[in-house]
Formats: sequence, C-alpha cells, structure tokens
Amino acid sequence: MIPLQVMWLGVSQRHANANSLVAIIPISIAALPIYLFLHARPQVDLHFALFLIIGSVVGAYAGARLLNRVPDRELKLAVGALMLAAGFKELVFP
Amino acid sequence: MSWSDALAVLSGLFAGLLSGFIGIGGGLAFVPIMTIGFRFPQPLAQGTSLAAIVPTAIVGGITHIREGNVLLEAAMWMGGGGVVGAILGALLAIQVPGHVLARFWGAFLVFSAWRIGWGALRSATGAARHPLPGPPPEGGA
Repeated sequence: MIPLQVMWLGVSQRHANANSLVAIIPISIAALPIYLFLHARPQVDLHFALFLIIGSVVGAYAGARLLNRVPDRELKLAVGALMLAAGFKELVFP
Repeated sequence: MSWSDALAVLSGLFAGLLSGFIGIGGGLAFVPIMTIGFRFPQPLAQGTSLAAIVPTAIVGGITHIREGNVLLEAAMWMGGGGVVGAILGALLAIQVPGHVLARFWGAFLVFSAWRIGWGALRSATGAARHPLPGPPPEGGA
C-alpha cells in the first residue's frame, strides 16, 4: 500500500506510512479469525503474542511519534532500504 | 518471566518501532524473528504475528491520527479495499504456488524500493549539482 500511494498517487511519504498503518487495523482484524478458528487447531501462541504485544505497542507509539521528526527524503530512503531488503529476501529465499 | 519472554518483549519493541515509523503491520519483522530466532513453524509464526499486529496497529494508528499524519478518508478506503484484497489474495494463494507469488512480490518490492529510494537519492544529488542561484558576486557586472 505504501509504494502505490507514493508512486501513483503522489502522497507524501509521511501520510503514506500513517495511512497504511491505519488501513492495516481492519485488515488484520478480518484475517485473525482464519488463524484462530479455521485451522484444525489455533495457529496462535497467545503466551508469546502477549509478550510481543507488551513491547510492540510501546514501539509503535514511539515510532509513530518519531515520524513527524524525520524529513520526507530520509523517510523515503528508510522505506526504500527496508523494501529492498525484504524484496531481495523474497527473490532469493521465496 | 523467562529469558524467552524478555526476548519477546525486546523483539516486539523493535518490530513495533518499525511498524509505527514505516507504517507496516510488523509481520515483516515478527515472522522472521519467530521462525529464525525462536524456531516457530511458519503457520504458527504468521498467526501469532497477526495477533500481535492488531493491538500494535491500533496504538500506532491512533497515535498517527492524533499527530495529524493520516488522510482519514483515504485510509478508510484502503482498509476496506485491503479486506477484500486479502480475501482475493488468499484465494489466489490456493491456485498459485507459494514460491511464484513470493518472487512476484519480491520483484514488486525491489522495483518500488528503486523508484522511491533512488528518487530520493537523485533529488539530493541533483540539488547539489544545480544549486539555487545565489546573489551575484560583489563587484560583478
């Protein structure tokens, strides 16, 4: 969603990142029951998820506050570097 | 609280920071952390990641809204479209082998990284090569 907004719609990197995270809320809520109920047994380790969440909600708050303090160009470079690494991973180890 | 739990909190902190800053759900970091670092099987890692993404995205998303970073109407359309897209994607994933989908996705990511990252780099070097005109030198014509 982030690259499509930036490349095709000309949305600023800051707005694209934030829009994407808000859009992920309904998508993840819709997808979660598949892993909880549609498998033979739940594919969720709730104990581990709880400890991940303790860290991740603090991180998400800090990351969201940080976004406004970074210029658009540096933000684009960070997003580009992350996508490049993830893209090569998928190409080499699909 | 075991060492494993403490490492999970630290991993969550890292993935959450990435999520809030870059705008990804966090699965990009959560899943490899669990499969490589904690030897989770892939489906369990994906399900556990998704369970962690929901509260992470809610906290990050609300913070972004309060910071004025969100174009709310666009985000709502994307969220609605994303739900439909996720269902279609799941149906497509049944028909197409996983490694083929992964390679298409990888190629799209590399292309996007090039367009966004290279564009940002070029804008900076272009500005250095062609600086804005300054005042004329003293004593000049």
